[in-house]
Amino acid sequence: MAKNVLLVDDSSTMRKIISRSLRQAGLDFGEIYEASDGQEALALLEKETIDIVLSDINMPNMNGIEFLREKANRPAIKDIPVFMISTETGDDIIGEAKSLGAIGSLKKPFTPDKVNEILGPIM
Amino acid sequence: MPDTLSVAPLGPEILGGNDVSSFTQISNKIIESTIEIFTDMVMMEISVAGEPLLELAPLKRSITGMVGLAGVYRGVLAVHFPKQVALEVTGSFLGMEVDEINDDVQDAIGEIANMLGGNLKTILSDRGKDIHLSLPSTIYGEEYAFTSQADAEQIILPFQAPAGVFYVEVELER
Repeated sequence: MAKNVLLVDDSSTMRKIISRSLRQAGLDFGEIYEASDGQEALALLEKETIDIVLSDINMPNMNGIEFLREKANRPAIKDIPVFMISTETGDDIIGEAKSLGAIGSLKKPFTPDKVNEILGPIM
Repeated sequence: MPDTLSVAPLGPEILGGNDVSSFTQISNKIIESTIEIFTDMVMMEISVAGEPLLELAPLKRSITGMVGLAGVYRGVLAVHFPKQVALEVTGSFLGMEVDEINDDVQDAIGEIANMLGGNLKTILSDRGKDIHLSLPSTIYGEEYAFTSQADAEQIILPFQAPAGVFYVEVELER
């Protein structure tokens, strides 16, 4: 069954590019929801049926790390998987994201082929 | 818009003073990163447009996207696009016609600066430790200067896009 996806990124450009890349990668997905920071993402997760989250790290208001930490404290949504898509590739920050439950990461920039390779198995 | 934008790098000495070889290595990696970003995401072929510059004339009818670095390395990464180049880049990035500097253009140029800033952070520190990247911001206007207030190592890399030349500037505090 196609998965509903939540894209979390403060850049509307990047949200469009990720949507386009998911389509170009030929991945099977349902609805795409969008949030511009962690706070919006939490609200959408509690309101909509979302199967996977693709999240940036460096965002205003509530960044990707704070989002993961807050999500982990909310029983209704804590098990929804989160995948990080970010310019941040350092072991420390990606390690922190994974310790908070992120299931993987994809570095910007990326190609549709890379999206398929990395996200295909979890979509 | 102010006529002059002053950018103050954010802290004490870095790069061991005049470490030209380090800065050359950084420049080469920034060139690779810029071409990668344009090829993979903007969907536009670009090339290096000559030797690096040490300063830029005041920018006219341009838009600049920038991110700051703080921590053990302090400075700024900026991308400067003449208006027509920015419109072409945004159009290619988003796959749509763009004929004015609008929110989409500012967001796209800011995101290019953000991706390059992330790469610069990785270049400066393999593990990305102890360097913090600011959120991207943009400025645009009829004429403005992008200058450093502090003593900073600086390099400006010119690139040729189909609609014209644009610049990637790295400024790191000495």
